[in-house]
Amino acid sequence: MNSIVLIFGVFLGGAILTYLAHKLSNILSSAFFVLTIFTATVLFYLKVETGDVFSFSLNGLHLEWGITSFSWIFSLIVLGLGTMAAVYSISFMKGKERLGYYYFNFILGIFSMMGILLSRDLVSFFIFWEIMTWSSYMIVVYEGRSVQKIGIKYILFSAMGAYAMLMAIVIIYSQMQSVMIEDLIYSFSSFSISYQIWLPILLLTGFGVKAAMMPLHVWAPGAYSHAPMAYTSVFSGALSKMGVYGMVLVFSTLISQLPEHTIIREVVAWLGGITAVMGTLWAITQDDAKKLLAYSSVAQLGYIITGVAIGTELAMLSAIFLSVLHALFKGTLFMVVGAIEKQTGTTNLTEVTGLIRKMPWTFIAALMSIIALAGIPPLGGFVGKWMLYESLIGSDHYILVILIFFASTAGFLYCYKFLFGFFLGQEEKEWDHVKEAPASMVVPMLILSFFSFLLGTFPGLILKPIDQGMQSLGYVPTEGHFWGMSVLFNEWGNAVVLQPILYAIMAVFLFFLVFLTLKGLKGTRYVTTKDISSSGEVPGEFENLSYKQNFFQPFLRAVEPVMKRQIDKYYTGIGNGIEAFFNYVRRVYSGNGQTYAIYVIIFLVILLLFKNNLFG
Amino acid sequence: MDQISFDISIVEYGFFASAILVILVGLYGALVKKSLIKIVIGLSILESGVNLLLITIGYIQGGTAPVFSPQLLKDMPLTLENIKALGNEMVDPVPQALVLTAIVIGFGVTAVALSLVIRLYRHHHTLVIDEIKNLKW
Amino acid sequence: MVGSPILFVAVPLLAAFLIPLFGFIWKELVRIVPGIVLLYLLILSVSLYIQVLQDGTIVEQIGGWAPPWGINLVFSPFTGLLTTLMLFLAFIIWLYSYRFKNVDFEPSKKYFILLLMLVTGSIGIVLTGDIFNQFVFIEIMSISGYALTAFYTGRDSAEASFKYLIMGSLSSMFLLLAIILIYSQLGTLNMADIASKAHLMKPEFRVLALVFFIVGMGIEAEIFPLNGWAPDAYSQAPGPIGAAFSGIVVKAGIYSIIRVTFTLFDVEGTMQFLVLMGMITLVVAEMAAIKQDKIKRMLAYSSIGQMGLVLVAFGIGTEEGVFAALFLMVNHALVKPLLFLSASYLVFNSTEKSIRELNGLGKYLPLTSFLFALGAIAIVGMPPLSGFWAKWSMLTAAANSNMILIIGLVLLVSVVEIVYYFRVVNRIYFFKKEEDVEPKKPTINAMVSMIVLGILIVTIGFYPDLITSYLHEASESLLDKGKYIQDVLSAGQSIIQ
Repeated sequence: MNSIVLIFGVFLGGAILTYLAHKLSNILSSAFFVLTIFTATVLFYLKVETGDVFSFSLNGLHLEWGITSFSWIFSLIVLGLGTMAAVYSISFMKGKERLGYYYFNFILGIFSMMGILLSRDLVSFFIFWEIMTWSSYMIVVYEGRSVQKIGIKYILFSAMGAYAMLMAIVIIYSQMQSVMIEDLIYSFSSFSISYQIWLPILLLTGFGVKAAMMPLHVWAPGAYSHAPMAYTSVFSGALSKMGVYGMVLVFSTLISQLPEHTIIREVVAWLGGITAVMGTLWAITQDDAKKLLAYSSVAQLGYIITGVAIGTELAMLSAIFLSVLHALFKGTLFMVVGAIEKQTGTTNLTEVTGLIRKMPWTFIAALMSIIALAGIPPLGGFVGKWMLYESLIGSDHYILVILIFFASTAGFLYCYKFLFGFFLGQEEKEWDHVKEAPASMVVPMLILSFFSFLLGTFPGLILKPIDQGMQSLGYVPTEGHFWGMSVLFNEWGNAVVLQPILYAIMAVFLFFLVFLTLKGLKGTRYVTTKDISSSGEVPGEFENLSYKQNFFQPFLRAVEPVMKRQIDKYYTGIGNGIEAFFNYVRRVYSGNGQTYAIYVIIFLVILLLFKNNLFG
Repeated sequence: MDQISFDISIVEYGFFASAILVILVGLYGALVKKSLIKIVIGLSILESGVNLLLITIGYIQGGTAPVFSPQLLKDMPLTLENIKALGNEMVDPVPQALVLTAIVIGFGVTAVALSLVIRLYRHHHTLVIDEIKNLKW
Repeated sequence: MVGSPILFVAVPLLAAFLIPLFGFIWKELVRIVPGIVLLYLLILSVSLYIQVLQDGTIVEQIGGWAPPWGINLVFSPFTGLLTTLMLFLAFIIWLYSYRFKNVDFEPSKKYFILLLMLVTGSIGIVLTGDIFNQFVFIEIMSISGYALTAFYTGRDSAEASFKYLIMGSLSSMFLLLAIILIYSQLGTLNMADIASKAHLMKPEFRVLALVFFIVGMGIEAEIFPLNGWAPDAYSQAPGPIGAAFSGIVVKAGIYSIIRVTFTLFDVEGTMQFLVLMGMITLVVAEMAAIKQDKIKRMLAYSSIGQMGLVLVAFGIGTEEGVFAALFLMVNHALVKPLLFLSASYLVFNSTEKSIRELNGLGKYLPLTSFLFALGAIAIVGMPPLSGFWAKWSMLTAAANSNMILIIGLVLLVSVVEIVYYFRVVNRIYFFKKEEDVEPKKPTINAMVSMIVLGILIVTIGFYPDLITSYLHEASESLLDKGKYIQDVLSAGQSIIQ
């Protein structure tokens, strides 16, 4: 049997088995769940090689599955994050209802993402895309909170995106009577000029929704924060990357063929930039960690979209690199929030404090990821952002670079807020009982943050495969082309100029770590947070000394005019207007049988009046 | 086959016109009257009008019944000319058959309609159609 | 020959009127006999269909009167497909309504008589080759439809039925007028004969007849603005009858309009007209559906919308378009009955039948709820279920005919559809159950019937090739007007010789 079919079979069979096993016992179901995802992962990396193809025909269409070296990169994200989140899920979901349902849709989610990556034709791409949409929808509404609002918003936007995509696919099919992606790339230049413009736009709309691009992002914060955190890490880390994957394909294979492609590139790049800025600003205002991370995801995807849209070798490289990185650190951060939610029961940053000593391992994972997110060396975010800046400057996008730079600097604010809010600050009695999350939750987080550290220090590890992947999309090998130009990397991605600095920073970091640990071991006196005297005043037992209630007030006041324009509200307004209009239209069904009869006569009269126009 | 033409005499125009008039009366009853009973009556009249129109088509002024009785066959052996002559003389039996069927159907519909009116009256205690609209939109 | 097409009309009609007699022998026979009859007909239909695919169209002359004089039944790949589909659904509906609500002897007797008549009428419409005969079958179908709509006395069913009746009467009047026009011009009632001579009609008469046909059959096929009766009738009829309306009756209506526009008259502009009317029907129906608070009414509007979509697909006019239309019809005939059947168990004990009462039933009726959700996903055309392939064929057919605007509109409307279906599914699974609602477990036979539909939907979704070849045969058979005329009329020739 073909190995791709085998993997899909494992996924599907595993999903059904897991669901059925849930009826017997939760443990069995969990075991099947993890086993399925691991088996599929192992099979994938052992058995499937680039160039393996499985083609078949369905409903008169020639369909094909196979992996390219480009989609292989994204498979790392999906399966890497997927397996970790699966392990994490076991403890996270313990004691919750409808585990079978959750596991089933989780597996289907991973399955459909792999399907998207393995699809070499647009129809199976679309089918997997839709499976991904509804399986993720099922998990977004899993907890049953505000499903009619958040869930419907998600499915509405997804459906609009998917249908924009479907329209493009249908037109493509009618143009070349084939749905193969390869054929599309070759015959795209023979399409009429209006199709050449509209098809990429339609496709980009479809992918833009999943990648939470600016005017289409409104579903994201709600959906990210309403799904169980174990899934959100996949949702934000991997599922949104499918949008990026599609965008990369569109930009590198279709739009690059257009003679007038710069305008589309500019528009999308700017949309990405604005997404980054607005996402960051919104993230800063959030008090709920889930929402904060959700908006932060939107912002991060903004950088990635900008990189993809600019589309030079370096920009594309940085975008894909950031995608991998974002999956690692944002996946971890959502897991951190999940762990805190599990242990404390809330994710409100103003409520939970001082968990650093209670959940040290979680703190380490959070710290590493936050550093990566903020883009501080030696973790990965720095490398990615550096490359992005360089590519933006290199392609003369000075204003855009300022925008991105502003966004990433402002990003520090919410990074700090997140870290401080949960882990630092005054310890409160309320959280005295909190313990470290179980090992099966901590280990995945640590593994993921270790990888974001590894890739940050040795970016070449991943840049090389990305480079190869991009070659399969027709990019010239970046090695030797810009490696030398860049101040940062040589061919293996190890720093030339910055290398000593990097190691120096690491050394200092390690030194402090060791120093503090040693000092801690020596048995210094621990003080409680109330054990202070400020200006001669001794704070009372219940006085709240935390200053995080109104974090960043001055800053927020400064950006308020921008923030007031909530796109969400416009959409709600439009939606309500449309529904009211529909509600009005249905009054034609007046309920009076005689009116209906009169409609018949009116219809007849109209037909007779216009019969010459209508018929022959 | 060439175009089938048929001459319409003044009298036949009169038949058509009156049939259409009956149809219009029926439509008026069904569409304008507010009482359920009157609507049913209107529908019946409509039915009759259409039937009348149907029967008019096959009608030949002064024609005979389309029956080949032994007597008739004795008088006119079945040669081609005789058949043609008979064809011009006999009324067309098909519309009559159709009308018979249509009448039966109309009867059935009217019966169902009246039984429904009874049920509606029991339920709503009114026969005004404007007041019977629990189901709408 | 395994059997002859006349049996499709004769057997159920006979059985319908014999049912009371069976009741005297053993009361249970009243329920069992219709099932046996339908199963027999289904098997007959399948075997005839296989035979037709090999040997070509079967033309049955009733009473030995050769066409164009006598009435004939035409069992072609196209009509055979529809017949088989209808009989399959009728059997499913019988299986479902066997002991639906544990009704007493009296009501169930009437119910099954009327159901058999409804099926007879619908199949007759599809099989007959004679326009007046078709009119008669439409009337049989409508009258049993009126009676079935008013079947339950407790509700507003009489109101719905009366509306249906007014519209139905108008419909029959216009059909008769059209028949009169054709007969006065051509002197024939045989469809094939009319089709071969239609060009002889005076153009204005031809268009007039077409208009009357469209208005008359449009009422049965639920074209906007002729469909005022439909939501009422669907929502007030017993659940399985709602399924029969959406699965069988409308299909017959669509068939008749298609037969007239495709075979009988070759008037220029008809196809564009179908697209236009289909589009309007689709858009208005989906607009009306979104704010409904009665579940069956919502399903009814959705059904109307789907029929609009089918008309659009037919109106594309190419082989692909007809294929897509048939695919949509098959999909709709499997999915909408499933939705109706499962929904009517979800709101079984309620008098209001409002969507609110579905809240939280997912926990109490897991399988029924799941089947409803499956149907909802299939009807909005989400992969990997059958609806996707139907929609895909429709869209590609439109794209190949360069109807880009139509694609856009259809997809926009689908978004609306997704919203209201998902709202309902959300309620079923994620809301708290209303306290006054007492869910009732479906009987085993009802469950089996729904599961069969569910399995078919999934199977076709994963493997559409299961049915596509039949659909292609059927669409070719519909489009090949010359062959239809030849098949029917040559059957007459051979008898004469």
